[in-house]
Amino acid sequence: MTLQLGRHAFSDEATLMMAIVNRTPDSFYDKGATWAEDKAFERVSLVVEQGAEIVDIGGIKAAPGVEIDAAEEKARVVDFVARVREAFPGLVISVDTWRAEVGRAVCAAGADVLNDAWGGADPELVDAAAEAGAAIVCTHTGGVTPRTRPYRLEYDDVVAAAIHDTVAYAERAIAAGVDPASVVIDPAHDFGKNTFHSLEVTRRLGEMVATGYPVLVSLSNKDFVGESLDVPVGERLTGTLAATAVCALAGARIYRVHEVVETRQTVDMIETIAGRRLPKRAIRGLQ
Amino acid sequence: MRVVLVPGVLALLPEYAGLDDPVAELRAACLEAVRWLGDGPVILADPQGERVARALVDAAGVSTSSTTGDRSTTGASAYLVIGNGSAKRTEKAPGHLDERAHPFDEGLGASLRAGRPEVDAALAEQLWASVEGIGRMAELGELGEARVDYDDDPYGVQYWVMRWER
Repeated sequence: MTLQLGRHAFSDEATLMMAIVNRTPDSFYDKGATWAEDKAFERVSLVVEQGAEIVDIGGIKAAPGVEIDAAEEKARVVDFVARVREAFPGLVISVDTWRAEVGRAVCAAGADVLNDAWGGADPELVDAAAEAGAAIVCTHTGGVTPRTRPYRLEYDDVVAAAIHDTVAYAERAIAAGVDPASVVIDPAHDFGKNTFHSLEVTRRLGEMVATGYPVLVSLSNKDFVGESLDVPVGERLTGTLAATAVCALAGARIYRVHEVVETRQTVDMIETIAGRRLPKRAIRGLQ
Repeated sequence: MRVVLVPGVLALLPEYAGLDDPVAELRAACLEAVRWLGDGPVILADPQGERVARALVDAAGVSTSSTTGDRSTTGASAYLVIGNGSAKRTEKAPGHLDERAHPFDEGLGASLRAGRPEVDAALAEQLWASVEGIGRMAELGELGEARVDYDDDPYGVQYWVMRWER
């Protein structure tokens, strides 16, 4: 099935880089490096140059912290989306939000995708996507409240739970009028999951791919990488790329990333090994 | 009678395609020449070269009912010859640099241009030149002066695309 992300269509073979752009003063990885609007815009320009097909603009960090209401969230992202839309008409713009009110406003400003990291906490978000013809990312969080950390959450089978919840969310989105070609699922590593859960979801990602919905993975520099290797934020790229390779081999389609170039190379290499992508240029031994 | 010579470059095969074509210019010259040959050429080639020939015939969109030149080759109206010069022309060539490669290719190239190919088969083997098909061109008689569409060694292997009409 062709993947339709708002105004942009992609073939079944396409793998896509979704570059994270934080309009936050406190996100875990960049620690506010793109809080200033011009810095965020520079980040967009950079990742476009690096080949990212999608930017994922977020106005609230995922971890607990100062409460940001919808008005403040909109103030952080809506005008920025409009600016990016105007400057980069060919770019897919995703906004990381769980709020329908914010979703409607960013779609009106030119967003193509609503990336709901919090598993449908606001039931009207699907309506916002449907009204705007936008795509939606349906994640699994185990039902936790937005911006809370997992605490003693356990599953009989975390992958079965992730498939059940994301597919149910996807079906709810389609029932609300979202184009079935515009529904993406995401197991949401580390959201409502301890490290063992995130590792299992990685190891068994093929089961999510088998649902037929395009799968997004958000692995970049996360704590399950840090805990697996005992490395702090800032030293997690190698582990992130290893996890990326496993997900790519299983057939993930969209990669939400901090490092576009490294992830693109990793995914392209795996896709080439898997026989889903041709080598860029092969002449050795064939002259 | 029309005769075309193209090199047996495996990168011309569809199973070895990449996103970028490392032999785009050569491929274009080969396809144009094969189209000029028309339907059903007799192929003069070693078995690997024959695969290249069939792939080019397919890609050129001409008839694939071509016969291989194992049997009598005389009397056909079109021949597709697969062959190339040395693969030892530079230090980065597949067979590394052999100083005999350039003079060998110059001699072979001149004889091909004149339509009377002369091949030193023993030296060709040492220089990794693929000349089985070229050697069999003698059966076709004198071909006259060639039209040379391509003459280069982008990867240290001497390639020619030539046409003859008699």
